[in-house]
Amino acid sequence: MRVFEVFLKKPGRDEFRHAGSLEAPDPEMAVLLARETHARRGEGAQMWLIDREHVLVADEAELAVNSDKPHRHNDGSRVAARRKGRRDECSDA
Amino acid sequence: MLGRMTRSPAAHEYLLAFADDEHLIGARHTNWIGLGPFLEEDLAFCSIAQDELGHAIGLYGLLLDDPAELDSFAMAREPADYRSCWLAEIECPDWSDSLVRHWLYDRAEALRWDVLAACPDERVSALAARAQREESFHRAHAEQLMSRIAATDTTGRIVASVTRLVPLAAGLWDPTVSEPSAISEGFVRVSSRELADVWKNLIRSDLDRWGLDIAWPSPTTWADQQSAQGNRTRRSETFGQFQSDLLRVVVLDPTAVW
Repeated sequence: MRVFEVFLKKPGRDEFRHAGSLEAPDPEMAVLLARETHARRGEGAQMWLIDREHVLVADEAELAVNSDKPHRHNDGSRVAARRKGRRDECSDA
Repeated sequence: MLGRMTRSPAAHEYLLAFADDEHLIGARHTNWIGLGPFLEEDLAFCSIAQDELGHAIGLYGLLLDDPAELDSFAMAREPADYRSCWLAEIECPDWSDSLVRHWLYDRAEALRWDVLAACPDERVSALAARAQREESFHRAHAEQLMSRIAATDTTGRIVASVTRLVPLAAGLWDPTVSEPSAISEGFVRVSSRELADVWKNLIRSDLDRWGLDIAWPSPTTWADQQSAQGNRTRRSETFGQFQSDLLRVVVLDPTAVW
């Protein structure tokens, strides 16, 4: 059995979204079973199936956060602190 | 005004035979809920079961004036009043038997809906058109799964199931006593005997394609099986148990409202 990833797209401008996965012996049966497993209640107007063998997977090193580049991680706390400081100044005045 | 009053007893019995087959095979298929050989197949097979039960509701609906009678009519008639065939009635606790039955039955079911799609009664032909769409999925499912399993089955279980079940299918093509009237009245144009020949060719060409070598039942075996099932008037041995299983919850409180 092979594993297939199933993507569904609703009508309109929504993008394809991952609906889940399934096991099937081959692509033809995967399409047949995907309908019953993920789309029998009209969950999508279009369906993609991708053999998991064909999915490119990034490894941990490729996903590691750059801890030496703090300027890329602006969580807004410095701006918030400055604005608070300004407000405090105004109320003191 | 249309509906039952305009339909002859022969047409009624013809539809009843199909309705009972659909009901009982659907109910038998549902035994696999939660027990299918793998999750995806569990969902697919039980979805097919639901479709068959849906067809049964549609067909029974054509026979009844009052939809409220449907449950008791479907489940609580005297066994002799059913017109089902044994292939639909029997228990198939083995997955291989259930799969083979699904293939044999759905090959036949498609032909039966084709006949009803040409029925002059518009309620009947409309129901047939709806069912035909679902049946194309059922056939694809049976064909694809059988072709893959047949090619790799080294245990001989599929061959054993086919050998066991094909003779039983003779009863599926055993016409109701009144079928000749349904044909002469123009309700249907093709006899069960003619359909059986088409079906046999389809089944045998499937088997050839999958490389399965099955000894086809002799005309005598076929005729014996049909006379045993008595124009769909005799029930199979385990029917009583099956019917009491279907009724198990209802009899706990017959007046309950769901």
